[in-house]
Amino acid sequence: MASSSKTSAPTTPAPASSAAASSASSFRQRPWVRWGAPLLLVVGLAVLPLVMTESANDTLARIGVFAVAVLGLNVVMGYTGQVSLGQIFFLGLGAYVTAYGVQSGWNIGLVFVLTCFIPAVVGLLVALAAARLGGLAIAMVTIALPIVGVPLAKRLSEFTGGSQGLSARFVAAPEGSGLYDDQWQLYIVLVIGGIVFLLTYFLVRGKYGRAFAIVKGNENVASSMGISPYRYKVLAFTIASLIGGVSGFLYMVVVQYTSPETMSFGHSIELLVAMVIGGAGSIVGSLLGGVFYVVVPDITNAIDPSLTALLQGALLLAVLFVLPGGLVSLPRAVMRGLRRSSTGRGSAAPPTTPSSTSGSGTAAEPTETERQGSA
Amino acid sequence: MNRHFGSRQAVGIAAVSALALTLTACGGGRDSGRSGDAAEGAPSPGITDDSVTLGITTPLSGATAGPGTCTVAGVTAYFGMKNAEGGVEFGDGQTRTVEIEALDDTYDPQQAAANYDSLKDDVFAMTAGLGTPTNRAWREAAIADEVPQALIMTGDPLFSDTEESPWQLGFVPIYQNEGEAFGELLASSSEEHRVAILSQNDDFGAGYVEGFKSAVEGADNIEIVEELTYEATDTSVDAQITQLAASDADVFFNAMSVTPLVISALQQAQQLNWLPNWFLPSNTSSPGAILQPGGADAFPGIYSVSFSKAPQSPAFAEDEDVQTYLSALAEYGNYPDPPAFPHCQWSWMVGATLEQAFMEMEEPTRDSFMEALRSIEDFQAPLMLEGTAVTTSEDGQPAVSTLNVQKYNGTGYDTVESFE
Repeated sequence: MASSSKTSAPTTPAPASSAAASSASSFRQRPWVRWGAPLLLVVGLAVLPLVMTESANDTLARIGVFAVAVLGLNVVMGYTGQVSLGQIFFLGLGAYVTAYGVQSGWNIGLVFVLTCFIPAVVGLLVALAAARLGGLAIAMVTIALPIVGVPLAKRLSEFTGGSQGLSARFVAAPEGSGLYDDQWQLYIVLVIGGIVFLLTYFLVRGKYGRAFAIVKGNENVASSMGISPYRYKVLAFTIASLIGGVSGFLYMVVVQYTSPETMSFGHSIELLVAMVIGGAGSIVGSLLGGVFYVVVPDITNAIDPSLTALLQGALLLAVLFVLPGGLVSLPRAVMRGLRRSSTGRGSAAPPTTPSSTSGSGTAAEPTETERQGSA
Repeated sequence: MNRHFGSRQAVGIAAVSALALTLTACGGGRDSGRSGDAAEGAPSPGITDDSVTLGITTPLSGATAGPGTCTVAGVTAYFGMKNAEGGVEFGDGQTRTVEIEALDDTYDPQQAAANYDSLKDDVFAMTAGLGTPTNRAWREAAIADEVPQALIMTGDPLFSDTEESPWQLGFVPIYQNEGEAFGELLASSSEEHRVAILSQNDDFGAGYVEGFKSAVEGADNIEIVEELTYEATDTSVDAQITQLAASDADVFFNAMSVTPLVISALQQAQQLNWLPNWFLPSNTSSPGAILQPGGADAFPGIYSVSFSKAPQSPAFAEDEDVQTYLSALAEYGNYPDPPAFPHCQWSWMVGATLEQAFMEMEEPTRDSFMEALRSIEDFQAPLMLEGTAVTTSEDGQPAVSTLNVQKYNGTGYDTVESFE
């Protein structure tokens, strides 16, 4: 929500910036760029697991798991503006459904369908009640999910293995593929996570996405346009739960173990933090949120294992202070900073002057490399 | 419009960076980081002719950071002291220094598994980590990778089952051991006893009750008159205490792991004027934190179990073990304060037990280490109470399975031989 004012920033400061943006975006409008870039991405991701070390593959796979969880949170919070503190519950639920299904020897396809279906139904039931409440009341209701989830998981030990948890190793690389287990796991995460990201991308860009945005912006306006805020809030929450369930499946693919600790309330807050840090209401921000969730503990561990909490807190404050729009706003912030320094104090340069356009066009070039370095 | 612009930009970035990563990684070689098929007798990772590295993943931040920090401090202090003396002489004739690499998992299983992944190729063995879920998270991976998960701090019996966990060994007594130790003492009493049981409704409580019942089975003088449970999330057990008080039992077996509940249970029983002998688990029987605030002096006896000397206790102030330990903990363990958790002492004993295994292992391999680790008999580690010992050769039992029953004396605990 905080990002909305920042994301629209490029239009306001100087007309020159929009000229730069249009020159940069016309580069991207070219057909070979439009089709080549995604293709390159797919090829890159297909090759990646084969050439990286085992620990890099593991890390990437875990990033994928939590990027999907953050994406689900983004659907309900970033796009629809409903505060949800229960996302980790759906991840945990998905993980438990997967673990139980695998232990009972069910078909893995069926397990996956159930992993989507059960969290979605639970999410729907919760949302039917919670979405009637406005604003922070939804946050309060969703807080209850992980708080109830942990003791519930301990209590229902028949299904959940109690506080000792469940492990399920079911993703050994198929015989004859020549792949290592970690490569195979990463492929599963890439394919399933990629599909979820793609579907969500189309969802939030289409009719439903626009409806979510109006509900987020002003519920009264939404109602006056014939968009039921209640229905769309329920829809967003259900989709978020479903995506949470999928991330739970991926969690079991990668971690292969779940326990009540998996859905402890603290992780729900961490997911929320990851979403805000990555960038609320942004697909790429979800990915960056996943990176933040996974990589930061590893980094702080490498610096000083006894100060991890402190370092993470400091990093969180630093990011939010410098980039209130999240990491996803970094390229824009860098570009803005460069432009300001290149155009000097004469920010009121006339927009139509060709020299100014070309000047800012060249200024945009170095930012391109800058961005590659930071991404 | 701006949002479209931003995301397309980002797709470009992602593509380019993916490509860049691919190119840089190409030089890395395909099998980097995937070891495991080393030749017979070749040294395992993490061990050279003059040093060996051990890995620990344990909570160093968050709610369990206190005991977690202790699990690192004790073993680090022990080997810090040994390294300062020149190192440990291994069974293969080499003298090696022992290095510790510890990572924080915040009691998160997912992070523990990640820590294990990042450590496994650099360390010879994993050890001393605290927590049941955090150790379970990478147990199967450790078995698959054949990495020892030795002397970890969990009361979960799974880690002591050689069949199920060939590369694992728990250190501390399992819950059943504790319940059993008290049950045996009670069964040996010459008088008749009526026992009331309250237990946490999970594997913690069930383990205690199982151990206790197996020990008093067949003892004619013991009658279990009432048995109730509570949830770990309950904020009050007053109702259960009231119901148990009505049974008029003279022994109260309370398998409870939640500190405030134990205090309120002690107070509630006094208000009802029900004054039985109590049994409390080792982790909820701290004199300063629980018994004194709970007014435990009102009861004829509060019993608990232990296997380590308490450094705070005046009885051990002059003890040589304790003094060596406290000075090493401050000097090498980065732990200047008096240890607040028994995990510091346990971790110190883990160090001593590992040293025993190191001295016996004939080859610098993980196989040889596990063999040596499983053949320790009746080893009296420093800080251990008389009557307890490390024995690793018994299947189904952790390294320490013998416990002394102790009775609260108003300030600390004394070991007792019989129940009066």
